[in-house]
Amino acid sequence: MKTAAVKRRDDRLLGYGLLVPVAVIVFVIIGIPFVNAIYLSFTDKVVGVTPKFIGLANYMAIFSDKEYWKVLKNTVVFTVGSVGVKLVLGLLLAVVVNQNFFGRGLLRAVLLVPWALSGMVSAVTWRWMYDDTYGIINALLLRWNIVHLPVAWTSDPSIALLSVIIVNIWKGLPFFIFSLLGGLQTIDGQMYEAATIDGAGKVRQFFAITIPSISPVIAITVLLSTIWTFNSFEIVYLITGGGPLHASAVISTYTYEVAFLQNKMGQSLAVAGSIIPILVALIIFSMRKLNKDD
Amino acid sequence: MRRSTYVKIRKLTALYVIGLVASVWTLFPIYWLVKSSLTPNKLMYTPQPKLIPAEWTFSHYQELFTKSPFLGFVKNSLYIALLVTVISVAISVLGSYSLTRLRFPGRGFMLKSIIYTYLLPVAVLFIPMYVAISRYGLNNNKNALLVVYPTIVVPYCCYMLISYFKAIPKELEEAALIDGCNRLQSLAKVILPIASPGIAVVSTFAFTLSWNEYLYALVLTTTPAQQTVTIGIASFNFGDQTIWGLLTSSSVIASIPAVLLYFLAQRFLKTGLAAGGVK
Repeated sequence: MKTAAVKRRDDRLLGYGLLVPVAVIVFVIIGIPFVNAIYLSFTDKVVGVTPKFIGLANYMAIFSDKEYWKVLKNTVVFTVGSVGVKLVLGLLLAVVVNQNFFGRGLLRAVLLVPWALSGMVSAVTWRWMYDDTYGIINALLLRWNIVHLPVAWTSDPSIALLSVIIVNIWKGLPFFIFSLLGGLQTIDGQMYEAATIDGAGKVRQFFAITIPSISPVIAITVLLSTIWTFNSFEIVYLITGGGPLHASAVISTYTYEVAFLQNKMGQSLAVAGSIIPILVALIIFSMRKLNKDD
Repeated sequence: MRRSTYVKIRKLTALYVIGLVASVWTLFPIYWLVKSSLTPNKLMYTPQPKLIPAEWTFSHYQELFTKSPFLGFVKNSLYIALLVTVISVAISVLGSYSLTRLRFPGRGFMLKSIIYTYLLPVAVLFIPMYVAISRYGLNNNKNALLVVYPTIVVPYCCYMLISYFKAIPKELEEAALIDGCNRLQSLAKVILPIASPGIAVVSTFAFTLSWNEYLYALVLTTTPAQQTVTIGIASFNFGDQTIWGLLTSSSVIASIPAVLLYFLAQRFLKTGLAAGGVK
């Protein structure tokens, strides 16, 4: 029979041993390129050439570039617009599918569909619907006399960003509906009965009971969605390519453009690196909500 | 009495109107995708497309499998997604067992690091990863994705598996340990059988994550022989103008794993979500 101390030591060794592959992935495969990238953002790195240290020059270059600020502003509009609408519609639809009515199961099943599709398939589908000449959206709007000229969904600078926001909402709404529904299902129905007896109306109940009860769920859903939306790539890249003239470009597509089309690797790392402070803040907030250990 | 009936009818009407609008908004794009993949070219490229075409055709699917490199993309995607799933789930099962059942210094730090990497977006990592992969001469080699995809999949799997493992009562395992099993035997004989439905769910998610991944595949592979479905489909764009038949039909095929995931999630939503939400 092993002593307790030996058992504890064995457990400890086994604990570390089983974690080695995960640790390699987190600290080597992600960690090393990540740290190296921060270093390379201070160099004049281009593909195939030994990088030279140039200090803050890349950051100065992007911060003094009007296009960078335009793209950052687009990213914020894209994120706040998408997340805001997803939250409001998600809350509405979560409350709807939480009611008892015939067909509720079917409606839930229907609303989940876009969640399962890939970003690429969603983007291809919407780009085809947005098509200037053959797209169904323009065809219907013209047929119903809502517009008199075709709308240039992907090539009009004042509309392109809105077009990609709409697709992001379509794709991301199920996540909101079902994570908020999960929250709603944990609310004790007796609270509503008590409130009804006390004479509180439905609207009052919604703001005094529903919202406070699910506010932790709302917080984590909004945080996660903000991180994902802030960094989403396929929808913008495949529908508008960030154009026209960066009208719908976001940080992720701009990073890609600077790296592979302008061929300025060091500068593209500075673009990606410049948003790390925002991300770290969002991640730390989310961590507080997600940390399972305590 | 009559007033409350009136209120009920008004409420039901509102529910059905909202439900109908939401359903059309959700399903129409999918209908249009499938419909377009089955529409002959002469009815597709007209400024006034009909909502229901007068003719249907499978010619786009035929062309896709016989005259395009699509089948190669599918093979690459299957190869990558299957291998990544097996590797990642195995790694995550071991790691999650360690993190939930064994006590050692640094455990909390490791848990935090996993959630951190789970939240760290590819948009920040793709250039660093591209630089690293190029340095090892692995660019335009699909096997690079076998190295890179676990960085997305493993943190996610660990995050999910930790919850499953925590829900298994410690007593079950303690009984096995007293009966003379060592830790690894108890993992294999007690934990894994109980957690197998959870592991199946996690594997499906892992497969879909790899199958659907876009950004890494875009920057790490450049020729059709190495490319996966997501990138291959988008590259049809650069051909001739009337390519939408191929784009839509290949998108339908590419969504097959998503359909499986969807039906799995359905069962999940009916039974597990509410319980899982409370934690």
